[in-house]
Amino acid sequence: MSSSDRQVWQAFVQLADTLTADFDVIEFLHTLAQHCVDLLGVTACGIMLADHTGRLNLVAASTEQARLVELTQAQAAEGPCAGAYRTRAPVSCPDLAAARERWPDFAAAAMSAGFAAVHSLPMRLHGDAIGAMSLYSTQPTTLNSQTAELGQALADVATIGILHERTLRRREVVTEQLQNALASRITIEQAKGILAERFHISVGEAFTMIRAYARAHSLKLADTAHAITEGKLSITIPE
Amino acid sequence: MADPAIGVWLSITARARSEGTAVGVRHAVTACAEAIGAGAVLSMSASLGSHEPVFATDPRSDELEDLQSTLGQGPSAEVIDGFGPVLEGELASAQALARWPEFSPAAVARGVAAVFAVPVGVGAARLGVLSLYRDWAGPLSRDQFNALLLYADAVVMLALHERGGLAPGAIDVIGEGFTERRAEVHQAAGMVSVQLGVSLTDALVAMRARAYAEGRTISQVAADVVARRLSFTPTEPLLPGRGAPIPEEQAASSGDPPAPEEKRAEDEHGEGGE
Repeated sequence: MSSSDRQVWQAFVQLADTLTADFDVIEFLHTLAQHCVDLLGVTACGIMLADHTGRLNLVAASTEQARLVELTQAQAAEGPCAGAYRTRAPVSCPDLAAARERWPDFAAAAMSAGFAAVHSLPMRLHGDAIGAMSLYSTQPTTLNSQTAELGQALADVATIGILHERTLRRREVVTEQLQNALASRITIEQAKGILAERFHISVGEAFTMIRAYARAHSLKLADTAHAITEGKLSITIPE
Repeated sequence: MADPAIGVWLSITARARSEGTAVGVRHAVTACAEAIGAGAVLSMSASLGSHEPVFATDPRSDELEDLQSTLGQGPSAEVIDGFGPVLEGELASAQALARWPEFSPAAVARGVAAVFAVPVGVGAARLGVLSLYRDWAGPLSRDQFNALLLYADAVVMLALHERGGLAPGAIDVIGEGFTERRAEVHQAAGMVSVQLGVSLTDALVAMRARAYAEGRTISQVAADVVARRLSFTPTEPLLPGRGAPIPEEQAASSGDPPAPEEKRAEDEHGEGGE
C-alpha cells in the first residue's frame, strides 16, 4: 500500500467511524472537507446544499474564511457549483482566467479570492441532486481521472452522511434531514455573529471557538451554537 | 426558470387585496392552505417557550393544534423542540401511532390522514410553527414542500414586519426579497442581538427597520454590520426617522422626541456595496 493509498484508507475509516447512530452532521462534513483538501491536493473545499428556493448554501468547508462563504453566494446563479447541481454531473474549470466570459461574476469573485481553478462535483441521491461539493485551487489545475473518482466518492460519502441510512427508506425523511442541516448551519452563523461581537473577533475565529467548545464537551456543533444563541453557554476566550 | 417565491408572494398579496386590507400573516396561512389543499394553523411562540395557535383556516385544524400543545405531543410539538420540519403522510400507520400514541388516533378520528409541520423562523430565531392537516394520506410532492417552506418564510417576514410596526407600504418593498438568506444576514443578526441586548428575532426586526428606512436591502445592512462599518446602539429607536413613518400609537404615546440616531461607525456605507 503506497502512502497515498494509506491516507485514503485512513480517511474512509475515520469517516465511516463517525457515521454512528447520533453523529454530528456538520462536524462530519467539516472533517470530510478537510480530507478532500488533503487527499485531492486542492487548496479549499466547500460543501453546499440546495435550499427550497433552489439556492446553494455553504454548510461546511475546509476553512471558515469569509472568502469561501462569499464565493458560495457569488455562484448562486452561475458558476461550476450551480452547474454541477443543476446537471447532476461534474463541472470543471481548470483555469478561471479562461472562464471570464462563461461566468463573469463568479470568475471575478473567485480570482479576487485568490483561486485559479474550481472543480465541482454533484451530491447525488437516486438520480436527484441535493447540492454540490466544490474544490478550489490557487493554481490552474486539471483533476486526473483517478482524483476525480476519489473526489466523487467523497462527495457521495458527504451525501450519505447528511441523509443517514434511515433516509433511504422514506422521501420525507430525506427532506427533513436536508432542512435540518440547512437550519443548523443558519444557527451556527448566528452564534458566530454573537461571539464575534462579544469578543471582538472575526467570524472565522468565532467558528473555531464554537468547534473547540463542542469537541471539548462532546456536544454537537448545532447544539452548541443553539445554546450560545439562547445565552445558556458560558463560553470564554482561552487565555 | 420562474421563481416559485414570486408566485407564493403574489398569492398572498392577492388575498389581502381581495379583502381590501393590508397584507398580514393570516393571508399567508390561508394562501398556503389553499395551495397545498389542507387546513392550516399558525402557532406563534408566546412568553416562556409556550406556543399558541394565532390563526387557523378551519375549526378542526385549530382544535388539533390545541390538542398537540395540551398533550405536548405531535408534529408541531416536535418542530418546536427541533431544528427542522416534521412530515407525516401516513398518520394512521403503525409508525405514526407509535410515535404519537395519543395525538395520532385523535387526529385520525377527526378525518385527518396526513400532517406536515414546518418551523417558522430563521435558525435560532424561532417564531412559531406552521402546520397543515390534510384529509388524504401520502407525502407532499417536492414542489408542494418547497411551497410550504416559502409560505413559512413569508410568515417570518410578515411577522417581523408586524413586530417592528413598519409602515404598511414597506411590505411590498421588503416582500420582494423575502427569501433572501445570506450568511452575512445570520451573522449580522447575531452581532446586532449583542449590540442591542435583544433576541435574534428583535435583531432581525431592527435590521429590517433600518434597511427600509435607508432604502437598502437587508443584505446590504448586514454586510455593513459584519464589516463593522455599522453598529446598532440601544438608544437608537427601532424606527429611524428617515423614510419610515412612525406608527400612530407609538407617535401618540411618545411625548419626548426620540433619542438622536447614533452611529458609532459614521455614514460610510455610501461607498459602493455592489
